[in-house]
Amino acid sequence: MTAALDTRPTSSATPTWTIGSARLLAGLDRHQSLDARTHLAIHGALPATDLPKLLGLLEGAGLTGRGGAGFPLAAKLRALRGSRPRVVVNGSESEPASLKDRTLLRRTPHLVLDGALAVASALGARRVTVAVHDPAAAAALRAAAARPDGRRVHVEITGGGFVGGEARALIRGLDGGPALPPGRHEHLTSQGVLVANAETFAQTAVLLRLGGRRFADTGTRAEPGTTLLTIGGAAERPGVVEVPLGTPLGIVLLAARADDPRFVITGGYHGTWLAPQADVPVSRAGLAAVGATLGAGVVLVIDDATCGLGELTRVSRWLASQSAGQCGPCRFGLPALANDVAALQGGYPGGVHDAARHARAVDGRGACSHPDGTARFISSGLALLGDEVALHRRGGCRRPVLGQLPIGDPS
Amino acid sequence: MTLEIDWTRCDGHGLCAELLPERIGRDEWGFPVVNGKSVHPAERKAVRRVVAVCPALALRLTDAP
Repeated sequence: MTAALDTRPTSSATPTWTIGSARLLAGLDRHQSLDARTHLAIHGALPATDLPKLLGLLEGAGLTGRGGAGFPLAAKLRALRGSRPRVVVNGSESEPASLKDRTLLRRTPHLVLDGALAVASALGARRVTVAVHDPAAAAALRAAAARPDGRRVHVEITGGGFVGGEARALIRGLDGGPALPPGRHEHLTSQGVLVANAETFAQTAVLLRLGGRRFADTGTRAEPGTTLLTIGGAAERPGVVEVPLGTPLGIVLLAARADDPRFVITGGYHGTWLAPQADVPVSRAGLAAVGATLGAGVVLVIDDATCGLGELTRVSRWLASQSAGQCGPCRFGLPALANDVAALQGGYPGGVHDAARHARAVDGRGACSHPDGTARFISSGLALLGDEVALHRRGGCRRPVLGQLPIGDPS
Repeated sequence: MTLEIDWTRCDGHGLCAELLPERIGRDEWGFPVVNGKSVHPAERKAVRRVVAVCPALALRLTDAP
């Protein structure tokens, strides 16, 4: 497919722009944030729904979770039917390179609440909890929850590092326990809890208003609609971006003014390094076909000005620091893996084999997917950095480490 | 049946690997590496014993295929 280039600048701290028409980001080109009245003027009233209608819409649109795992929302709702569940909006966005959820929650909170309240009503849930790490998002949500149907909404600021945003860790934290993934694998739906990402609820609100047919006016046949991306790194026009699913990666990079991409990382720090390929469709299926993931929509660009191996070392060390330390292979394996990458940067030739061995040693051996995702990120990076590894063995690549990959608190 | 490890409990004592070396090895930090999670009916008794002796109660036999 071809996408019309219609990029719209805004004036906020995190820039937002769109390719094609704005759905989730509608109005944010003109307004810093949408209050209840502006929200209604731009999006219109939310049509009433019930569970069968909602399930029909969600299944017709194939709407999948936008927090990273990409699980179909309708399947979660079906697994809950018959119970009186809790509805939890996961707005924790623990990924340091991702800004899309806090942008939605800070600037268009009513859209997220529309989706969450519609899902809660359809399920007969009494309570909607919105969990966020970001205090500005919490303030915007609390203000928005003053609307007439907002009495069921409870906004909670939750702590925890990278793994604290994992759905099961989030629920444990909300229930007064440690915000850590539990060791036993049980589905939250079997405990009567529906957790979905903030953007997933915003997409649901858009779907309810547009209906299935208009929702599918853009995107691909298998993945209709739009998705939010957070574009960062070596791009002159970074920001939170709404694009039709299936937009070619080259168009996205062009619009972001990433003029000289050497590598592109999709799916964030549990994602994949890619050699830039202009025709890869930005969709779950399109990226899966080249061995990559869309994850929560983070797209990071690395250019020729920075040392790729140094960038990988920085993020590897950060990922190791984010291990909760409760599972042995992750606690010991991720620092070992980060040291292997650092050793390669220092010119030690054995690092490639050590890293491959340690990546295998941590994969699938933890309570959550942090070790698996970290191993995938590092392995995919090293697979592309062969030339640079050779340069470092001969004394270095002579490029500085610019820190194009953001780590730490993004807000 | 399937042998599952609760990684949040496992402390790498290594009793499982000592009792069932043909099925369970140890990684360089001492944590168990299970050779195939699926448990054959013939080895169920031996695996049950390993589950029972784990000092951290980190092993579990489940009905999952």
